[in-house]
Amino acid sequence: MEREFITIREKETAFRVQNTRINAVRTKDILKKGVRVYRDGKIGISGAVGDLPDDILIDSAVKNLSTNIEYPYKLSGDRKDHRNYNENPMTGEELLKHSEDILDVLRRDYPEFDFSERISAKEVRWTMTNTAGLDLEYRDAFISLGLILKEKKSANLFDGFLMYYGRSLDMDKFWAFNRDYLAAYNNPVPLPEADVLPVFTFEFGELIGFLAHCLNGERYAVGSSIFSGKLNEQLFNDKIVLKQNMDPIYRAEPFFDMEGTVLENDTYTLIDKGKLTGVFTDKRSADLYSLPHTGAASGGYDDIPSLQGAPIRFEVDSDDIKKTLDGKPALLVAVSSGGDFTADGSFAAPVQVGFLFDGERIIGRVPEFTMSSHLNRLLGDDYIGTFENKHLYLGEGLTLQGFYMKITK
Amino acid sequence: MYRFPEGLYVDVRIEETFETKISFKKTTLQQQKVRSNKGAFIRVFDGDRWYYSSITDISRVQESIDSLARMARPNPDINNHPIVKEFEVNIGTVLNFSERSVTDIPVEEKQALMESYLHLLDRPEIVHHTSYYVDNKTIKSIYSSKGTAVTFDKQTCGIRLNLDIACGESKDKGAVSKAAIYFDEMKDLYGFFTEQIEKSIQFVKEAEPVEPGIYPVLLGPEATGVFTHESFGHKSESDFMVGDETMKAEWALGKTIGQDLLTIIDDGTVLGNGYTPFDDEGTKGKKTYIIKNGKLTGRLHSTATSAALGEPLTGNARAVSFEFEPIVRMTTTYIEKGDRPLKDIIAEMDRGIFIDTVKHGSGMSTFTMAPARAYKIENGKITKPVKVSVVTGNVFETLAEVDAVSEEFELLSFVGGGCGKMEQFPLPVGFGGPYTRVKRLSVQ
Repeated sequence: MEREFITIREKETAFRVQNTRINAVRTKDILKKGVRVYRDGKIGISGAVGDLPDDILIDSAVKNLSTNIEYPYKLSGDRKDHRNYNENPMTGEELLKHSEDILDVLRRDYPEFDFSERISAKEVRWTMTNTAGLDLEYRDAFISLGLILKEKKSANLFDGFLMYYGRSLDMDKFWAFNRDYLAAYNNPVPLPEADVLPVFTFEFGELIGFLAHCLNGERYAVGSSIFSGKLNEQLFNDKIVLKQNMDPIYRAEPFFDMEGTVLENDTYTLIDKGKLTGVFTDKRSADLYSLPHTGAASGGYDDIPSLQGAPIRFEVDSDDIKKTLDGKPALLVAVSSGGDFTADGSFAAPVQVGFLFDGERIIGRVPEFTMSSHLNRLLGDDYIGTFENKHLYLGEGLTLQGFYMKITK
Repeated sequence: MYRFPEGLYVDVRIEETFETKISFKKTTLQQQKVRSNKGAFIRVFDGDRWYYSSITDISRVQESIDSLARMARPNPDINNHPIVKEFEVNIGTVLNFSERSVTDIPVEEKQALMESYLHLLDRPEIVHHTSYYVDNKTIKSIYSSKGTAVTFDKQTCGIRLNLDIACGESKDKGAVSKAAIYFDEMKDLYGFFTEQIEKSIQFVKEAEPVEPGIYPVLLGPEATGVFTHESFGHKSESDFMVGDETMKAEWALGKTIGQDLLTIIDDGTVLGNGYTPFDDEGTKGKKTYIIKNGKLTGRLHSTATSAALGEPLTGNARAVSFEFEPIVRMTTTYIEKGDRPLKDIIAEMDRGIFIDTVKHGSGMSTFTMAPARAYKIENGKITKPVKVSVVTGNVFETLAEVDAVSEEFELLSFVGGGCGKMEQFPLPVGFGGPYTRVKRLSVQ
C-alpha cells in the first residue's frame, strides 16, 4: 500500500483598517493535513484541521478505501524539489511599521478619502510526500494590501481600491504610483468621444475564467467546450501565447498540482501563436480521453484530486504601450465587478472605476461605463497585446492587456 | 472555563464542524468525504484596538487569550466602554438539530440518494455532468468575559447537479440545486430536478442573443433575492457607515427610497442557509425591517457598529469560519410578498425581460446580475429564451423603480457559493422573495 501526505501551514499577521486607522490585529496559525492511501488500484482519503497524528489519519484513509473509488494511475514519485520563494519575509513588526506609515500619510495628505479593510503578511509552507519517493516543498511569504477607498463626500459603499500584492514592499515605488493614482482619482475627465476605444486591464478575470472553462480537457473531449474539435486550428490573433502556468512567482501557489506533478519550466503551452495546441488535464482525464497529461489536478488538501480549473496566463507578447497607442487615448480598468461572458462568447461588463491612460501614466478618472465585445474579437482583430507592467506598482508579475472594445456610457 | 484577564474584554468562539461531500462525475463516484474539525477564534479588546487569534489546537485557547492580552493595554474602565456596554449577555443552549441530525445518517444512505438522481441526467443533450451531495452541521460555543455562554447549532444539506449541455453548436453549462435543513427533505425530488433539467436544456437549444437596451425586467424569486442582496442588502450593512457622515445623511432612517409596496427584511431566525440563532458575538438573532413600505427603517449591526451609530443590535456579526473575525453580514434577506397575482403583473407587460435564474451578482454603485436563464416578455406573455451577459442598474435609483411585487413568494437556500465580502467568502445566506418588477434596467 502506498501512502501520500499533504500538509499546509499558514501563518498570517493582518491589520484591519477602519477610518484610515488600524483597529484590529489578527494572527493566524493554521495547520491542515491530508493523507491518501493507494491499494489495488483504489484510493482512500482522510484529513484534518490541526495536528492530528499521522497514524490516525492513515487508519481513516484505509477505512475510506471501502468506497472503492478507482485510482489506477502511477503515483508521481522519485523527485525531490524544495523551493522557497521568499527567504526574508517581512516580520509582523515591520509590516505594522509600514502600515502605520502608509496610514499616517493617507490621513495627512488625503483627508478627502477614507480608507478601510486590511494589510497582511502571510507565510505558507506546503509539503507533498509519498512512499514512491515524492518530496515536494513550497515555501513562500507575501504581503497583501487591499484598502477600500471611499470619498468622504460620496454615498457609495466604496469608490475604489488601493492595492498591492508581492513578496517585498518598496515604499518609494508604492508612493510614486499611488500619489499619481490618487491625483488622477481627483481629476475627473470625460470619456473620450468614440464608440470603440483601447481598453487596458491588469486582471481580466472574466476572460481567464471563460478560457479556463473552454480549455478544460474533459469538456474539450466530451464536446461541451466551444473549442471542441479545434485542436491545431488557428483560433486567435497570432501574437497570442497562453500557457498553463504553475510558476509561484505569478500566483503565490505551489509549483506542483494536487497529484504531485511538476511541469518542465512550470508551464504547458495551450495556445501557441493563436493556434490551439493543448487542453489541460489531470491523470484521470488524460487517461480516459487519450490526451497529454498536463498536471492540472485540483482539489482541497483532503480531497481526491480531480480536474476542475487550472492557472492559465498569457505570455507577454508586446512592448511599450505608449508607443503602441501612438497618442490615441485609452482607458484603464481599475474596478470592474459583475460582468460575464455568455456561453457563445459575448462579453459585457460595467466598469465602476476607470481611468484615462496614456500607456504609462493614469491621467484622470472617467465616469462609469460599460465595455462589451466578443471572445473572437477580443482575441482576434481587437487584441492589442499583453505587456509587462512597468509603471503601475500594483503587484508582482502583473501584466497589462489591451483590447479594443465597444464603450457605452 | 477560561481565565479572562482583568481590564480587557475577551470572547472565545469554538466551532465544531461535521461535513459530508459525495461527488460523481457522470455515474462514477469521485469522492466520499466525511470530516469533523474544530477550531477557535479569540478576541481581546482594550478599548482602543482589537486583538484576534485563530487556532486549530483547541487546547491552546487559554494560551492564546494570554498571548493576545500581553499585546493589549489593560483598561480598568473597560466595562464602561460603549462597545463593551453594548454586548448582550446570553446564557443557554439552543440545539435544534440533535434530532434528525445529518451526523446520524449513514454515509452509504447519502450516497445511495445521490446516485438515485443520476439517471435523470441520462439525456443526449447532457454531454457531461458532475453532481454532489453535501451536508454541514456546525456547533458553536461562545464565551465572553461579560458572562455570555451560549452553545447552538445549525445544519444544512443539499444536492447540486452541474450540467454541460451541447445541442449542436449551442453549448452552455447549467446547474440545478436544492438545499434543505433535514436529509429527509432531499428525498423524492425527481419531479423538481426533471423540470429544472428540462428548462436548462430548452434554454440552450432555443436561446437567442438579446438585443441590448433598457427594459422593464421581471425578476423571479431567485433573481429577486440576488437583486435585493446586491442592490440594497450590502448598503444596509452598517460597517460601511461608521465614521461616514455622507453615508449617514444619504441613508438616514425614515428616508423614502421606494414605493409603498416595497418592504425588505433581514431575519436571522429563518431556518436555512442564513439561520443565525446567535451571531458570532453571542447576540441573539433578530428580524430586522430594513425598509418598510418604502421607508428606510433599519440597518444591520455588529456590537461595534451598533455602539458607533447608536442603533439597536440586530445579531448580524458573522464570520465565514473560525479563521475569521465576525463582521456585519446579512442572514436571510428578502422582499416581503405583495398582493398581486403573478399572471396579472405579466399580463400588463407589452415588452420586457424575465430573469428566472442567476449565475452571480455584485453591488457597488452599480449592481449587476449575470442571468443563467432569461426570457423575453412579449404582449403579456413570457416567450423566447434570450442570452444575456449582464443586467445592471444604479443602486441609488433602482429600488424606486420597483413597481410590482407578486403574492407568490419563495425563500431559497443554495448549494455551493454564497456571499462574499472582501476576504470572507463564501458565507451561507438565505434569500428570495416574490416576483418583482423593475421598470427600467440595462440589459446587455
